[in-house]
Amino acid sequence: MHSSGEPIAPAAAEIAPSGFPRWNRRLHFHGGLYFLFFTWLFALTGLLLNHSAWEFARFWPDRKVTTSEHALRSPPATASLLEAARDVCRQIGLEGEIEWVTNRPDAQRLEFRVNRPGVQVEIKTDFASGRATVRRTAVNAWGIAHHLHSFTGVRVNDPRRNQRDWIVTTAWALAMDAVAIGLLVVVASGIVMWWCGGGQRRGGAIALGLGTALCAFLVFGLRWWS
Amino acid sequence: MKPLLRNLHLYAGLFASPLVVLFSISVLLLVHAWIPGAGAERTSRRVENLAIPPGLEQAKGRDQIAAVRGVLGQLGVGGEVGFVRHFPAERRLTVAVLLPGADTNVEIDLAARTALVAARTTGAWDATVFLHKMPGPHNVNIRGNSVFMQVWRILADATVGLILFLTLSGLYLWAALRAERRTGLAFLGAGAASLATLVYALVG
Repeated sequence: MHSSGEPIAPAAAEIAPSGFPRWNRRLHFHGGLYFLFFTWLFALTGLLLNHSAWEFARFWPDRKVTTSEHALRSPPATASLLEAARDVCRQIGLEGEIEWVTNRPDAQRLEFRVNRPGVQVEIKTDFASGRATVRRTAVNAWGIAHHLHSFTGVRVNDPRRNQRDWIVTTAWALAMDAVAIGLLVVVASGIVMWWCGGGQRRGGAIALGLGTALCAFLVFGLRWWS
Repeated sequence: MKPLLRNLHLYAGLFASPLVVLFSISVLLLVHAWIPGAGAERTSRRVENLAIPPGLEQAKGRDQIAAVRGVLGQLGVGGEVGFVRHFPAERRLTVAVLLPGADTNVEIDLAARTALVAARTTGAWDATVFLHKMPGPHNVNIRGNSVFMQVWRILADATVGLILFLTLSGLYLWAALRAERRTGLAFLGAGAASLATLVYALVG
């Protein structure tokens, strides 16, 4: 603690810039802080996905599978496939992203999955007998972490063209978009801070150039080189 | 300590920037299941008189990949072997060879010692998605069978390490700025609350 009463000179980093550099700097800090926990979540779950052999984080062999039967009313005859599936979910008390994995065998049957991170439910209905068979597979916290990383409700090259149909999936997908855009903003504002800062231009240019050359080689160059 | 950390944050951040851009762009493409230019047509060619390595039909896992590489070398096809499917009754192998922005399907007729090579370029956007998803949780027993995938596995892990370092050093540097503490805490809290709310709604 300073008790001499002498004024304390502020550190260089605390001499706040003004105008655009000031707002850019705040964007860098505040954007980074807002997305901090999202970034940790996606970075660490990405690490888990790339090391699925790690014993401590295994989840699929420890999954819990339960099967149950439910009485069911037929959905209205005019209902679309999605509306019929939602009606079945309401009757069974399920919430989640509906995924189509098979063709409909006949009008009396409807087979689909309901997914949410950590839980996958396979539903097979037989409206003629008014029954639904529900097979629920639940995984542990590591499994939930895996699914959070990749839970978008849609897939590239999906022959069944599944669309997002649960509002929470849409919100999660928007959050993923926001994190991606937020990180792009943090990167751009960081580069502006470095450039406008004046010092360390040569060292910074080498670091940025190395990273850029590496990525450019992987994205554009590798397929020609191979 | 602080100037050193600031310099490390700067250099590590600048080096990692293109990697973060690569991952961020691919997130946008993956979330919307849309990859411009990825549906390119394949061009095919037939190659005859192949020397089939002994034991190729019996080999499994990494041994099978090593044997398949002997054939791919003759075809001039390089990259990560995504999978190998063996059809013993037909004495045929299907091999998918992957590279960022390109993939090749190779149909090997072991009896006739011929191969049909169908290649296509899927472009830079697809390359970012491919890199994002690799090495990934699938086909773990054979993944990393090419040098570039071994290097990329290290780089992908290093990106996570760099991000952890950048966020932790960024937190320290921000905490030292007294003027930004209150607003920063509000942003940090808002981010944590947003994430917690979403995860609670998802997991229930």
